[in-house]
Amino acid sequence: MSSRFEAFLGISVELTAFSRFDLLGTGLAERYLATLDKVVGGEITDTLLAAFVALPPAEGEARIQAVRTTILGNELLGDVARALIKLWYSGTWFELPCAWTERFGPRPADTTFIVSPDAYVEGLLWKAIGAHPAGAKAPGFGSWAFPPKIPALPELVSKA
Amino acid sequence: MLFPLESTLKADAKTVAASGEYDIVIVGSGISGAIIAKQAAEAGKRVLMLEAGTGANITLAGYDDLLTTFYSAVSKDNQSPFPLNANAAMPRSPQLRKLQAGETDSSTYIVQSGPYVSDTTYTRIFGGTTMHWEAKTPRMLRSDFKTRSIFGQGLDWPLSFEEIEEDYRLAEQEIGVSANVEDQQYLGQTFPGDYVFPMRGLPLSYLDQQVNKGIEGTSVELCGKTYPLKVRPYPQGRNSIPNPAYDGGKGYRPIGAVDTHQVEEGGRCQGNTNCVPLCPVQARYHSGKTLAKAFAVNAKAGERLVELLSQAVASKVNIDPDNGKVRSLEVKVYKDPASPAHEAITVRGKVFVFAAGAIETARLMLASGLRSTSGLVGRNLMDHAYLLNWALMPQICGTMRGTSSTGGIVDLRDGPFRERQAAFAIDIHNDGWGWATGAPTSDLLELVDDRNLHGADLRRGVVDRVSRQLLLAFMLEVMPDESNRITVDPQYTDALGNMRPILSFTVPEYTMKGAAYGRRFARTVFARLGAQDHTHYDPGDFGYVAYEGQGYAIRGGNHLAGTHIMGTTRTNSVVDKNQRSWDHENLYLVGGGSMPTIGTANVTLTLAAMCFRSSRDILKYLH
Ligand SMILES: Cc1cc2nc3c(=O)[nH]c(=O)nc-3n(C[C@H](O)[C@H](O)[C@H](O)COP(=O)(O)OP(=O)(O)OC[C@H]3O[C@@H](n4cnc5c(N)ncnc54)[C@H](O)[C@@H]3O)c2cc1C
Ligand code: SF4
Repeated sequence: MSSRFEAFLGISVELTAFSRFDLLGTGLAERYLATLDKVVGGEITDTLLAAFVALPPAEGEARIQAVRTTILGNELLGDVARALIKLWYSGTWFELPCAWTERFGPRPADTTFIVSPDAYVEGLLWKAIGAHPAGAKAPGFGSWAFPPKIPALPELVSKA
Repeated sequence: MLFPLESTLKADAKTVAASGEYDIVIVGSGISGAIIAKQAAEAGKRVLMLEAGTGANITLAGYDDLLTTFYSAVSKDNQSPFPLNANAAMPRSPQLRKLQAGETDSSTYIVQSGPYVSDTTYTRIFGGTTMHWEAKTPRMLRSDFKTRSIFGQGLDWPLSFEEIEEDYRLAEQEIGVSANVEDQQYLGQTFPGDYVFPMRGLPLSYLDQQVNKGIEGTSVELCGKTYPLKVRPYPQGRNSIPNPAYDGGKGYRPIGAVDTHQVEEGGRCQGNTNCVPLCPVQARYHSGKTLAKAFAVNAKAGERLVELLSQAVASKVNIDPDNGKVRSLEVKVYKDPASPAHEAITVRGKVFVFAAGAIETARLMLASGLRSTSGLVGRNLMDHAYLLNWALMPQICGTMRGTSSTGGIVDLRDGPFRERQAAFAIDIHNDGWGWATGAPTSDLLELVDDRNLHGADLRRGVVDRVSRQLLLAFMLEVMPDESNRITVDPQYTDALGNMRPILSFTVPEYTMKGAAYGRRFARTVFARLGAQDHTHYDPGDFGYVAYEGQGYAIRGGNHLAGTHIMGTTRTNSVVDKNQRSWDHENLYLVGGGSMPTIGTANVTLTLAAMCFRSSRDILKYLH
């Protein structure tokens, strides 16, 4: 695995709170990195990854705060990181806000789109709530009569 | 279930036009057309079925393409699996906007002439709207057939419940209804002797059970009467566990997916939570299942009794001026949904059956200048009005699992209060606030973009926000009113040059009174559950209706009815109690359009029952 891909997985784990195992299991990690490259360009993607790699090795609240100030609260990177979270959770790339485009320039590929039919199916949102994407991965007859099995939060690398 | 291979060979327009007279020409391959085609084929009649939409989904591969279109659609709206087709267009709700007073909006397929803008829809494709429906299958109540006599509201049917009951059983068999008799015996509903439904009822969802825990044993008072509250299961047109006691102990064989090759899926609902707009495994009934049986009759007799001509839009009805009979039908047959190029053919038959849905059947009649002696074609348009109420339960309920809706609160479907206000049935939506807010996507956007959550906080946030969602959809009774109607106007046409339907609708006061009470009722239920009410109606909403100082966003119910109502004479109705046109003796207008009232039952089981009745009348006429 290239270190660039490693960094991409790392930031994805950090932002989504799903384990590397879960993220790789979707089969979409490479495609999502390629989506970032395609939509915002390699340069901004690299800046985002570099910001993640440079995060202080803090834990808990301090770590969360660092992500807020250096990534989510960064004028260039914040909206891109939020779009990446939404991409992982829903399979959809949501067009960046107008304010971002006005400031950093429009990107031709930046429209709202579903990366692929399986991206919808693999959205993390469904997994987070112990459900399944509407129309796929059916849990079986009568399963709906029982309480949902909401998966516990994984022990994440960054907290180790 | 197998489609005989030859049934998918597209009938050729030229052969159809040249092939002389059919016994029966049916317009529309929805459940109405399908039942009549099957009954006629079984009696050895030669049937031509015209379908305006494409027939690609007749094979499993074509059906699965619809699913891929759905997965790939950014906006998962109602019609998202069904590709655009300007030659057989259908209403699509995201395109709607609120109207100013006196304004008409012709930018969507249905021209909205207001004042109320309806997002009601139907699907023009092989299998019709059953490719899309949710498949709740309640019967109408006895009183629903006589609302004029009992409550002084609406109209009486020319048929009683007793006269339609046996056909209800046929419809339940054809659709394959899953329900338990003991759950359906509320409000005086009775079932004869040892009757059981074809399949056992689907279990209530965990969400239903949580709601029931909070309200069971409580009651409400309305107009001096007490109504106990409870969550009851809905009868459903989707496969569950067959009941061995069905049909005097013969049992029932569920019909799963249909294809030209043997496929084994859809024999039982798997909880895909996607019944609307498309069941991925075909556990939910669609009329292709009935048509497969109709096509199979051919194969046995060694000749093709039922021919299907898809991409064939019935455009004009020609009447014989001497006897008023339908002489022929002009049909526009297109090759490619992306191009308006078409060839016009004329088809002939002994009997014509228009089963194009309440709006399209009226449109076809009106476009042909046929308003009927009563002048009622297109009038009395009805559709259930939906009022949504949404809240967050105090506890995790596992929302977003199960069929679209397994249970509801249905004890206010009837009562003396119907003298003044509409009755309602309430669905509990297992898919949460989706219908009202676009959940869960809208929740994700809010949590990430506005509430700035990420990581573990986000994961906890989505559980907290989505898994506790409760949406109560009030399905309100709408009575017939002649000024609620479909019309046509040559200035509004579609790609093929056919006139488009124009919809004029005012939500009746009777219904709004029910809606206002419904809102109060929802607040009472939420209070008993300790649920946080999040309901709000935006004055800019296309369906916003002000009533007695409050505003309500009213949604269309997709239960279209009334545009060619049945009655006792040619002056008070368009069709007789067998759905035969009073004016044209060889013409049957079938489907929801014939219903004089709709009560609080989703219309399809009733219109399917009526089609069994009409089939018998048609066969009698042909003899
Ligand atoms: C989202 C949704 C949910 C629903 N849920 C329920 C439910 O839970 N329970 C219930 O009872 N009902 C429900 N309904 C309503 C139900 O789907 C309809 O009542 C039923 O399918 C109507 O059947 P039909 O055969 O009369 O008409 P349709 O199914 O509309 O069939 C008409 C057919 O005619 C074709 N056609 C139209 N015009 C022409 C023309 N000019 N030439 C040739 N062909 C033409 C169309 O393409 C179509 O195939 C729902 C509907 C929707 C949209
Ligand atoms: S819950 Fe799923 S499997 Fe069952 S009928 Fe609906 S879509 Fe089909």
